[in-house]
Amino acid sequence: MTTAAPIPSTYKPFSLIAEVTHRCPLHCLYCSNPVELQRADQELTTADWQRVFQQAAQLGILHVHLTGGEPLARKDLPELIRSARDAGLYVNMITSGVGLSEERLATLVDAGLEHLQLSFQDIDEASANQIAGTRAHALKLALVPVLKKFPLAFTVNLVVHRMNLDRLEAFIALAEDLNPDRLEIAHVQYYGWALKNRSLLMPTQKQVDRSIPIVEAAKERLKGKIHLEAVFPDYYATFPKACVGGWGRQMVLIDPLGQAMPCHAAAVIPGLHFDSVRDHDLDWIWKFSPAFQRFRGDAWMPETCLACPRKEKDFGGCRCQAFLLTGDAEAIDPVCTYSPYHGILQSLRTVQTETLPIWRS
Amino acid sequence: MDLQATPKLAPGCRLHPSEPVLLVPEGTLNLAGPARDILAQINGQTTVATIIDQLLQQYSGAPREEMSTDVLNLLNRMEQRGVLRT
Repeated sequence: MTTAAPIPSTYKPFSLIAEVTHRCPLHCLYCSNPVELQRADQELTTADWQRVFQQAAQLGILHVHLTGGEPLARKDLPELIRSARDAGLYVNMITSGVGLSEERLATLVDAGLEHLQLSFQDIDEASANQIAGTRAHALKLALVPVLKKFPLAFTVNLVVHRMNLDRLEAFIALAEDLNPDRLEIAHVQYYGWALKNRSLLMPTQKQVDRSIPIVEAAKERLKGKIHLEAVFPDYYATFPKACVGGWGRQMVLIDPLGQAMPCHAAAVIPGLHFDSVRDHDLDWIWKFSPAFQRFRGDAWMPETCLACPRKEKDFGGCRCQAFLLTGDAEAIDPVCTYSPYHGILQSLRTVQTETLPIWRS
Repeated sequence: MDLQATPKLAPGCRLHPSEPVLLVPEGTLNLAGPARDILAQINGQTTVATIIDQLLQQYSGAPREEMSTDVLNLLNRMEQRGVLRT
């Protein structure tokens, strides 16, 4: 499933998502990691990542997002941060905070960490711990005053879905008390483990309708104090999101094994081969790796999309979602009102209460 | 923000060493015209008035009033965006 000839790419990637490990003390029901997690003994080495960070900076990438799994599970995290920063990258870390002492954080900040993102699962501790599949809520709360001691940008992520949306006002109030620089309120996106738990997490129409003005009011109220960004619930939208800013257009993800992917979920699409940073440099991968070529530009698009002016905005939506919901990775993203499959979202929004949770393991 | 304010960049925000870009958490802000020169002078100690004085030397002939308005507008926008603190 590769395109005949490489599409000459004038696109320059901005960000590198570095999944440095899939190990994690949390088992969140909505985790975006693939269901087939990569083993620890096959992870890229320190030297591999150091090479990748240098190649990323040379390619024009500005931000590296260290994520996982839990990046803190890597003993060489300070070396990774230092080498990314030395290469000229802006260093962000997405973490559960579990296992992060003041001493360890000092080491990471000294190495060059600039931004830290901490997610919360609920306002209610028992529910938060249930969603995370571990007792992490109190630890996260206790970490916040420690973070504040450091010259570090701090983002709170509230991940919202049916199990916690009824408490949205209180959840936002909690975030305000924590006083981050940024606040993200993100509806779960249905990939990886979240897809497995979709019927448990899918919000109701009523919840979605109620949540929108609450988020808008918070945005207004927090203006100039906390920068708020909100992610809309996909299955309730009329037009698709510009997934990862367009395929092979802005972003590279490297998984713990070194496979370079155009997005988190790309491995679900059959027939895609991911080149490894163990075999190729990032510049070659960006320009020539068939996986990055596959949906780059608009040559793959169905006629409806090709003729649609929105293609400049959403770049044809999400290929993984098109595949997961229709079985065809080249189909119109079903979130789009012009998709013949748009109607299936309606049925997927129906609440099924008898489903049991499947924790990431 | 007024002329006596001494703004500084918010934590986790810094100028790119060579490009006209402010690196901020989860993004970049493109800096047009003299915006980079303005932000390069912000350090939490220098007043907005001093920054304007220095810019007027750099861009000789620019009317002071217009310059003041432009600089304050830029800094206020940046403050609203959360990347600048007073």
